[in-house]
Amino acid sequence: MGGKVTCTLGEVKQRADFIIYWGGNPAECHPRHFTKYTIMQKSRFLPRGRKDRTMVLVDIRETKSAKAADIFLQIRPGKDFELITILRALIKGQPVADEQIAETGLSRAVVDDLIARMKRAKFGCMFFGMGLSMTRGKHMNSAALLCLAAEMNAFTKFVAMPMRGHGNVTGADVIMRWQTGFPFGISFNRGYPRYNPGEFSTVDVLVRGDCDAAFIIGADPGATMPQPAIDHLARIPTIVLDPHVTHTSRIARVHITTAPQGIAAPGTAYRMDELPMPLKPALKSPYPSDEEVVRRINEAIARKPFWLPDGRQPQMVATLG
Amino acid sequence: MSLQVIENATCTFCGCVCDDIQLHHDDMRIHKANHACVLGTAWFLNHTAEKKYPVALVDGREATLDEAIEAAATHLHAADMPLVYGMSNTTCEAQKQCVALADQLGGLLDSHTSL
Repeated sequence: MGGKVTCTLGEVKQRADFIIYWGGNPAECHPRHFTKYTIMQKSRFLPRGRKDRTMVLVDIRETKSAKAADIFLQIRPGKDFELITILRALIKGQPVADEQIAETGLSRAVVDDLIARMKRAKFGCMFFGMGLSMTRGKHMNSAALLCLAAEMNAFTKFVAMPMRGHGNVTGADVIMRWQTGFPFGISFNRGYPRYNPGEFSTVDVLVRGDCDAAFIIGADPGATMPQPAIDHLARIPTIVLDPHVTHTSRIARVHITTAPQGIAAPGTAYRMDELPMPLKPALKSPYPSDEEVVRRINEAIARKPFWLPDGRQPQMVATLG
Repeated sequence: MSLQVIENATCTFCGCVCDDIQLHHDDMRIHKANHACVLGTAWFLNHTAEKKYPVALVDGREATLDEAIEAAATHLHAADMPLVYGMSNTTCEAQKQCVALADQLGGLLDSHTSL
């Protein structure tokens, strides 16, 4: 995430007059994004609100968000990286062949119009969703879009931000970056953190059968992962912490019910623009919080002999107690 | 019975993490979540303080919290390459404990981001 050209949603709300949603469906997945942060807000710099802002939606199919957009660009599935690369070339005036543009499902006139609008904008913002980051190309697509945002700053102010789902998934990135230096896909098996998505990322690890125990918290891979990964979770001892008995709990050796975050458990959660928000739980749960349970598991493991021959326990990240 | 009101509560359903929700609740459940969207309303109203599930399950049988914590620690300690995964629907404080867990175990640590 280092070097990402981004801003907070507050800045978007105050200043962004040109907003692109790429591979996301905020109307259904982030229902208040339009009204709270982007197109519908009036501000000192954009007093007429919606009339002062232009919204572009780039997606492979016409979702409900298309109704809110001024311009809807329907591209061919799997051609996101190609289109971003074409845009990066064209903004700098480099030649691109008609066939190459046609391959993305758009015409040259449409692409030229988009570039003219991007360059005319005072403050452009690109939000990218899982339609970009979870399709062919994956993190290379996100990297290309972040490059495009950075390069647009030669002409005008431009930023990019991922549309994160799943509550505090942003917090997971931030905490892991803070504690280990890497955002995800980490191995501690040499006693210090190493980062290598593809080798240490969960789906790959499970499908290859590399791990011999799994600790699952705040996720339900039994409902979302490919079958070979679920089969491996059922083969090995799996431990699940969740407010509900989930699909994964049913194949797990140990399930512990915990209090739902923000409803019955206090703490902090990160917004998609990496702003930490305090939680205000309304209810008192009969179950313990995730934090308490993981801390107690940590303490129980610390009481056991360590697996190195000399019994030493190198600790990179000291949080016990 | 009159309901208690929490102003500016935080919704953690999606990445927007709206912090302007007004919750009307009693001891058992949240009855109203003003300003929340459809997804947020469902999130707040579907979670209650009822004891719907057993505290813990070990090998499919009900167990106490202490037994389950000991069983979890034993499985994780016995493993050569344990995996710590998820961390989406939980607090930063719990996530920090998870990093310490993976570190202590010499295991793997990963979140939803890699999916």
